[in-house]
Amino acid sequence: MKKTQKSIIKLENVWKIYEMGDVKVEALRGLSLDVKKHEFVAIKGPSGSGKSTAVNMVGCLDIPSTGKILLDGEDISLMGESDLAQIRGRKIGFVFQKFNLIPTLTAMENVMLPMVFQGTTAEDRQKRAKELLTMVELGDRIDHRPSELSGGQQQRVAIARSLANDPEVILADEPTGNLDSKTGKMVMFFLKKLHKTGKTIIMVTHDDKLAKHADRIEHLIDGKIEQKRKKRG
Amino acid sequence: MLLDYLRFALKNLRNRQLRSWLTVLGIVIGIASIVALITVSQGLENSIEEQFEKIGSNRIFISAAGGGDPTARSGLTQKDVDKLEKLPDLEWVTPYLIAAVPVKFGRESLNARISGVPSDDMDRRWGDLDLSLKEGRFLAEGEKSSTLIGIRVSDDMFEKDVRVNTNLKINDKKFKVIGIMDEIGNSDDDNMILVPIETARELAGTPDAVTMIEVVIKNPAEMDRVAQKIQRTLEKVRDEESFEVQTPEQILNQLGSILDIIQVVLVGIAAISLLVGGLGIMNSMYTNVLERTNEIGVMKSIGATNLDIMLMFVFESGVIGLVGGTIGAALGTLISKGVGVAAAAGGFSILKVKVSFGIIILGILFSIIVGILSGAMPARQASKLKPIDALRYD
Ligand SMILES: Nc1ncnc2c1ncn2[C@@H]1O[C@H](COP(=O)(O)OP(=O)(O)O)[C@@H](O)[C@H]1O
Ligand SMILES: [Mg+2]
Repeated sequence: MKKTQKSIIKLENVWKIYEMGDVKVEALRGLSLDVKKHEFVAIKGPSGSGKSTAVNMVGCLDIPSTGKILLDGEDISLMGESDLAQIRGRKIGFVFQKFNLIPTLTAMENVMLPMVFQGTTAEDRQKRAKELLTMVELGDRIDHRPSELSGGQQQRVAIARSLANDPEVILADEPTGNLDSKTGKMVMFFLKKLHKTGKTIIMVTHDDKLAKHADRIEHLIDGKIEQKRKKRG
Repeated sequence: MLLDYLRFALKNLRNRQLRSWLTVLGIVIGIASIVALITVSQGLENSIEEQFEKIGSNRIFISAAGGGDPTARSGLTQKDVDKLEKLPDLEWVTPYLIAAVPVKFGRESLNARISGVPSDDMDRRWGDLDLSLKEGRFLAEGEKSSTLIGIRVSDDMFEKDVRVNTNLKINDKKFKVIGIMDEIGNSDDDNMILVPIETARELAGTPDAVTMIEVVIKNPAEMDRVAQKIQRTLEKVRDEESFEVQTPEQILNQLGSILDIIQVVLVGIAAISLLVGGLGIMNSMYTNVLERTNEIGVMKSIGATNLDIMLMFVFESGVIGLVGGTIGAALGTLISKGVGVAAAAGGFSILKVKVSFGIIILGILFSIIVGILSGAMPARQASKLKPIDALRYD
């Protein structure tokens, strides 16, 4: 696939240090990463290597200790709480390993929630949520609560929710980690479909088979991108 | 958007029904007691005012100094009465001697309060009052062993009804019941046993004694001036500390301020129970925030601002306040109605409990405010959670 040269996500020498009492954990140690618009990047790496930390920071859930994170050219480490919330709501769509749907809400309401925070009208919300759920082939499950859905179905609801405000970037942190391989493939199928519609996707995964679907695989070890492996891959 | 938060709040409350209702109950108790206490004491205030309107604006009361039970007061004598009778401004001077003595009807015997009054011109002394006879007649001049009784003496005091022309034994002396008054509405007056004052003095063994003097003035417009004149007249013959001259207005004000104090104390106690209810909300909301930490993280990750989260939780506690306040106000109204019915059954038919919409609305508003305030701190805590920490919480 041909890509524009414009970066949408750029991490420059990002450090993240967690301090727990006397102990300091260096989760990221000078991570640099450049993701172009419409790219599909897979991030691999051992557990504890800082993958989630990195993805969460791209998603404005946390800010780096030092270094820069540019989203569409803007430095997010300089933004205030409500600006970050706005970016999370409009520019980013999250798909988590443990689905993270709101248990008290139906599939439909879960998908509508991000639009509520953006002040979309009820009518538009309903229309779009129905479309999205139909797209992930759950058009007949819109009034089900998460507890009434299988893991794969829940993750598809989560994918639909991530698209609610039509964000440019989808961040998926081990989206198939809690699913068997068959359901995992199904979820992967939808992520690829999103990529085809022009979304930029960053996906964390352990699974080589799934990672192969990406344009590019980055290996994260000890809070940094492994250069050697990158060349090989 | 706010409507969405409200719906979301309702959903969450329904999702943990038992806990929500228990929290609501705390508020219900507080608001119900406040609404009931205010409604009843307002009814009481109104009925006292009404009662005083009945007494009329042309009466002044003189009694021995000191509070408490009238039978325990002493100090006034017939001399004071004679002195007042010389004043030209007074239409009537009526002394009362009140004493507690054994009263027997048939085989039944009990202690009751009797009032000695002048037996002449009774109908004229009380002519301006809204009093009427149910049966029989008033006392007549020169009568000694007759008695005029209130409706409750006739109906309730003894097992058998006391009728006109039957006999009561007061202090072992026979008295013929010559009349029964219509219901007046307060148990003191409806339980009266009136006898001629001379006879009462004999019974009490106090030849000159007067418990209280009631005067009717000729010109009601001169109430204050005449009250001062009475004060000065009596000061000439006795110590100014030994007696009190009171106009109905003064008595009303005194009662009113006593009632206000009682009301403040009672409503204060009720307010404490509301405070406890508020703490209940706070506790429940903190638990709620803790339980939904992960959910808060999720909502932040999909674009909820701190304010959004704050509003969601405040709406929840606000709804608890609204529901608690509404049920509480309804319950409080029912209770005060019940008190009105019970009071009527107990002889205070004048206590008219009026349901005031203002108090109901105020109660509900107040309860919503309590809900919002109690939820504010937990909601703030929820809104300040860092998205990343909240998401990691299980
Ligand atoms: N909030 C935190 N506080 C302290 N340490 C953390 C926190 N989040 C992550 N870490 C630590 O940072 C390192 C990287 O974690 P993470 O990004 O979750 O790794 P991965 O997703 O690759 O498994 C781990 O050692 C983890 O224990
Ligand atoms: Mg991880």
